[in-house]
Amino acid sequence: MTVPLLEVSHLTRRFGGLVAVNDVSFRVDAGEIVGLIGPNGAGKTTLFNLLTGVYPPSSGDIRLNGEASGGLKSHRIARRGMTKTFQNVALFMESSVLDNVVTGGLLHNSLPDARDKARRILDRVGLSAIADVRAGDLSFPERARVEVARALCTEPKLLLLDEVMAALTPAEMEEVIDLVRSLRDEGTTFIVVEHHMKAVMKLCERLLVLNFGELIADGTPEEIGRNERVIEAYLGANFAKTHAAQPVEAT
Amino acid sequence: MTTQRSLFALACAGVIVMALLPLGLDPRGYEIRILCITLLFASLGQAWNIVGGLANQISLGHAAYFGIGAYTSTILLKLFALSPWLGGMIGMALAVAFALLLSLPTARLKGHYYALATLAAGEAMRVIANSWADVTGGPVGISVPYLPDGSLWMMQFPTVLPNYYLFLAALVVVCLIFWKIKTGALGYRLRAIKENEQAAEVIGVDTYRAKLIAACVSAAITAFLGTLYAQFQFFFDPDTIFGVATISVKMALIAILGGVGRLSGPLVGAAFIIPMEEIANSYFGSSAAGLSQFAYGAILVLVILLNPHGLTALFGQISARFTRKGATRDRSIA
Repeated sequence: MTVPLLEVSHLTRRFGGLVAVNDVSFRVDAGEIVGLIGPNGAGKTTLFNLLTGVYPPSSGDIRLNGEASGGLKSHRIARRGMTKTFQNVALFMESSVLDNVVTGGLLHNSLPDARDKARRILDRVGLSAIADVRAGDLSFPERARVEVARALCTEPKLLLLDEVMAALTPAEMEEVIDLVRSLRDEGTTFIVVEHHMKAVMKLCERLLVLNFGELIADGTPEEIGRNERVIEAYLGANFAKTHAAQPVEAT
Repeated sequence: MTTQRSLFALACAGVIVMALLPLGLDPRGYEIRILCITLLFASLGQAWNIVGGLANQISLGHAAYFGIGAYTSTILLKLFALSPWLGGMIGMALAVAFALLLSLPTARLKGHYYALATLAAGEAMRVIANSWADVTGGPVGISVPYLPDGSLWMMQFPTVLPNYYLFLAALVVVCLIFWKIKTGALGYRLRAIKENEQAAEVIGVDTYRAKLIAACVSAAITAFLGTLYAQFQFFFDPDTIFGVATISVKMALIAILGGVGRLSGPLVGAAFIIPMEEIANSYFGSSAAGLSQFAYGAILVLVILLNPHGLTALFGQISARFTRKGATRDRSIA
């Protein structure tokens, strides 16, 4: 059996009396696009923060490519190939779009190489036209794209996307879905937090469901759509009905 | 590219003007001494700008490095007749060691907490210099031994003119170092720390390391400027060399007033603050001791309330209004 790209076992994080992430275990293999869903406050962003070293775990184990990464500082985890975008958008607001992305590129490149790489990535995600604009002057959807570009410039093996499709139009969502798929085909693995269920069902091959910090389901979109606990906690009876009537084709 | 080139031309013109300026002045006079101090404080403000400006680590303890440099070279000159160039380098090494030591408790601190911790470190050095009289001479101060046949090697000269050119050369070097850092990979990392430290970490910036490197470079420069100051003044005491208002706050104020994080900021700040202070001192004399400290506080509050980007940004905004350039797309103020 091959070593999974990411293996999380019995991961727990407490904030005072609150258990934000409770005994969560799962694995992600290279080349997957995994969705992480659940109601607000279920612990999705906290889980991302634990994986990327923003907070240390209270207990449990995180293995990236077979090596323990729990409790490491964020920049060391980034160097090993895992980074994330920020749900509330944490760009360098006074810097240009290009400079934001260049900063990510410096992880593995000299400054001139990081500049070249950043320009290529801006081209790829369709931000070249606004490369010289100050990040603080962008609209929210543009900022989310810069978040993705900056994270991509660190050359991640595993990229955690935290609600990058929030506030996008359906057409823009299609673009992001296509982008993530083509990046996956080139070797990047994704875990995606998203509230837009249609987009999640379309993009992801496997879903993890968190509720009150606990992992309550792990399976294909079809399995999750039929799962009683998930319907009760998150999807709601309506979704289950329409979903059962017209199953989403998973690719 | 063209703006880069015109900036370079402007900088060269500035250096030439500054090089010619003292030729019309009395080399033993009062004006040239004020120009020397202005150049020195422009360099000090620029050294502070590396940490305070680029990374927004507001240090109020840089007098510690300045005093370490001044005392180290002076004591070594006194005891072993060691050239201040060598003594100054030893002072730089000691200042870097102190910066490393200081980073252990302060690296995780931000904002006010960092400012207060560095302030305390500077004060600790003042107290040590006052009490360790065997080495430092204590509160009565220390004199640099005067060598009648002065030379460049011993950094002593019959007039102030060579000091002036030494200070000008130092300013050019410090500005080049600042520009190199600002436009290089370290500059990107420091700006990332300034604008969002957590995001910087997550995309792979070793924030501790970047801050540490910046602090060490800043400390080393400040220490050598301390040596230059000692060889210029020939006398200093703990309260002035390690002073909060005389050195630490003044360094920060000069960079903040001029324009924090900008190359031109400390130059403009020093050109404004130092002559103003001299005029105020000669006008009010000793009847208003401590007035300058009060003025620093007032200026700092005004800058932060009226235009946090400082005087250089203000000039930029005014000229933009006149040329109507960038009136619609004023996204960055160069």
